[in-house]
Amino acid sequence: MLFNSGIFALFFATFFPAYLLVRRNIFWRNILLIVSSYAFYGWWDARFLILVAVSTSVDYLAALGASGKPVRQVDGLKSAAYLAAVTAGSLLFTGRDWWLAAPVAAGTLAAAGWVRVIRRATPARQPRLWLYLSLGTNLGILAFFKYFNFFVGSLTAALDSIGVSIHSPTLSIILPVGLSFYTFQAISRTVDSYRRQFEPQYSIVNYAAYHAFFPQLVAGPIERAQRLMPQFESVRPLDLKTFGSGALLFVWGLYQKVVIADNVAPIADAVFSAPAGQSAAATCAALLAFALQIYCDFSGYSNMARGLARCLGFELRINFNLPYFARTPSEFWQRWHISLSTWLRDYLYIPLGGNRKGRSRMYGNLMITMLLGGLWHGAAWNFVVWGGFHGAIQVLYRVLGIDALLERRPPATVGGIVLHLAAWSVTMTLVLIGWVFFVTHTLPDTVTVLGNLLGTSGYPHDAFATLAAYAAPLALVEMYQRASGRLEILNTGPFLLRYTAALSVLLAIIAFSARSGRQFIYFDF
Amino acid sequence: MSVDARLDQRSKPGGRTRALVLRFLQACGLLAFTLVFGEAFVRILCPQPVMPRYVTGTDWGVRGNIPHARYWHYTPEVSVEYRINGQGMRADHDYPLRKPAGTCRIAVFGDSLLMGYEVDLRDDFTTRLEELLRARGRSVEVLNFAVSGFGTAEMLRTYEAFARRFDPDVVLFSWHVTDMEDNVRSALYRLRNGKLEQANPDYLPGVETQDFLLKFAAYRLVADHSQLYALLRERSGLFTKRLAVQLRQARVSAGTAPAPSGDEDEEDVLHAAHLQANLDLSSAIIEHAAQVVAADGREFYLVEIPLRVSRVEFRSTVDVLSPAVLADIRIISPLAAFERAARPDLKIYYERGEGHLTPAGVKLLANAAATTLAESPRLSACTAGAAAAAPPLSANPSSRSLFAGD
Repeated sequence: MLFNSGIFALFFATFFPAYLLVRRNIFWRNILLIVSSYAFYGWWDARFLILVAVSTSVDYLAALGASGKPVRQVDGLKSAAYLAAVTAGSLLFTGRDWWLAAPVAAGTLAAAGWVRVIRRATPARQPRLWLYLSLGTNLGILAFFKYFNFFVGSLTAALDSIGVSIHSPTLSIILPVGLSFYTFQAISRTVDSYRRQFEPQYSIVNYAAYHAFFPQLVAGPIERAQRLMPQFESVRPLDLKTFGSGALLFVWGLYQKVVIADNVAPIADAVFSAPAGQSAAATCAALLAFALQIYCDFSGYSNMARGLARCLGFELRINFNLPYFARTPSEFWQRWHISLSTWLRDYLYIPLGGNRKGRSRMYGNLMITMLLGGLWHGAAWNFVVWGGFHGAIQVLYRVLGIDALLERRPPATVGGIVLHLAAWSVTMTLVLIGWVFFVTHTLPDTVTVLGNLLGTSGYPHDAFATLAAYAAPLALVEMYQRASGRLEILNTGPFLLRYTAALSVLLAIIAFSARSGRQFIYFDF
Repeated sequence: MSVDARLDQRSKPGGRTRALVLRFLQACGLLAFTLVFGEAFVRILCPQPVMPRYVTGTDWGVRGNIPHARYWHYTPEVSVEYRINGQGMRADHDYPLRKPAGTCRIAVFGDSLLMGYEVDLRDDFTTRLEELLRARGRSVEVLNFAVSGFGTAEMLRTYEAFARRFDPDVVLFSWHVTDMEDNVRSALYRLRNGKLEQANPDYLPGVETQDFLLKFAAYRLVADHSQLYALLRERSGLFTKRLAVQLRQARVSAGTAPAPSGDEDEEDVLHAAHLQANLDLSSAIIEHAAQVVAADGREFYLVEIPLRVSRVEFRSTVDVLSPAVLADIRIISPLAAFERAARPDLKIYYERGEGHLTPAGVKLLANAAATTLAESPRLSACTAGAAAAAPPLSANPSSRSLFAGD
């Protein structure tokens, strides 16, 4: 269910009183969170719950083993029983696709076999083998459900291009919502356990509640166990002030989504659904609209997720920090989807060698990280190209030493201000060009859009007026946020100002919400 | 005042009371500020049409216009007065149960579009149709049984329980895209194994609350004039409607949704299944209504209200109905007339109110209806002149008691 739907309002109105009743009892609170999170996620398709349970069961054991803690037989039984219970529950609920029990059973047996292998290995090797179990399971799920058809299709096309024709066995696979988010979160916990940066506990209930926590299950932020897991192992403080602060953060996210993102989306759709023959100005308006849409869509979701979590007493990390104020591509990635950027940095870029092995290796590592980061966004070449483009401009900036130059010349003087403004303009132009690769799904469309942008024709007054109407208030707010350093504008300042701002945002949501609600873009990733 | 000073004051005799009074005054001030700010916000940034609905419950379990109600609608495009007669119809007089000799009756059922929202009585569909048919030599009375928010199921219930007593010769049901959801939401009928059956005994959403609130002059003042209230009421209604449809669709998908096949996206398949289920229900209700009317020996017509795409582009709304409906039921469609008349400078639907027909749109619709009905065998029996002089009978005792279910 979507945060901006009536069904979710009903869900939360039912869930929250029950939560208040049990919130001081960690076990029952977490049981309630598991059941509610599974109801929330199962609303899309109850069969997807099996995947969540597979990831939960495997990573529960894998993190323990990877941390060097003993994995007892009772832990294995708990893990298997949890998977069996969720599988049975979801199949009973859907009343169809009973065959899914067979692959689950086969997978369980395979995992049990792997566990036997681990037990026979030397104690020193065991943590690594547990880590492989987690990586194999999560990346295997991701590879099959998200990338199988992409890989097979690309292989077939590649062979076809050299004259080898093969039958491609593409499958009808539904991409489960939020798969990339919760598998990455599960991997990070096991890796951190392996690195001894996190000490996993034996409660499967606490871990399952963390793994499926509904505010951030389907679109992040991708949390780290060190930060969030302890919150599931303690009673969370919750008072009216905390709840109010969470509610206001949710409201601000809702405004970003239903007022800005959904209202500018038609401007982008109108052009990118059929880019041929569009004027330069219409394409430019569409590109700006898409940049605004994707930002408000995703950062709006993140704010709603953080707000909801805070209403329950949990604190999630900031995922967006005014990314369109970035002056370099590196800074952009430090501000955009921060939880993914840092994940890629900590679990891919640094293990590859980061910037410790010379400049050429650093550039190579950066390109690999960004290419895979692009692929994370979707199983299509345009996302790979988008990632590659961002990798390339980051490499270029480092080669030219632009980041270092900007650090040396802070915007304290007129020259510095001009320099930073110029850097910002160039970076935003590059980011906008990057969105072209992101939003167009075929090479001809990409070429058409880029070609259109080079023209001088047309001036869609309505499109620019609509864009300005939705972008201008946001720009003013973000300028204030940047100047004051306060991201949560509805939670800062004198009471009457906060009250008036919150009232305005609420009225704007009621008055200007797009009539046709849209799914969040990042749910597809 | 410092915290210490406040504590000191509260500890004094009477200080606690004063603090409570101060709190109360602050809350009142905040409430007043909220209302004034909200009203100003709406009036400046998003002016709203103020269109109160004066409906109440009827003895036949669906909504009806409040008899003798008199109210106004204000939109950025038009201001309109509504007068409801003693029988709950938009008319300036009551109708006797027995029609005048030599006069045929046409009963019109619909939602706000045919009730004449955003047009004066002299421009509304029933008045126009009556004029046009009289001009064509037919002696007719056109009775307006439309009620804002109605779907086909409620129209049928009103016909069966109330309107058939007026002995109409011809019955017109409107069909617009909103009817599909209205029929699902009202749940007066349902399809079981492809057969239509009655479900809920009544559908009176929010009627009790509205009846209660209308007793207060302050509420009526707000409902009739506040744009903030109009916005909140319209959006909360929309929210509730969507929620009801989502919940009903969830129940449908749990039981009847087909499994995904081929390369179709499952959500699309489910959506298509919901849509088809809803359309099947509406088609079945329309067919049933036609059978009920035909069994009474009357003619049944479905009046299509086209969907406005833009000022010059319209779409058919009946083509989604079942082939049986399209084959068996006489349909009055103004679509071709709308398309012929469409000009960038002509509004057929209002654009800043709630999207009802303009007088020009009503005229086109009434023309299309009059052209079709001029061929009606039932109406051809009613010649002009006989009923033209029939006086309105607002004081008719039998008509006064009708609304209460005599």
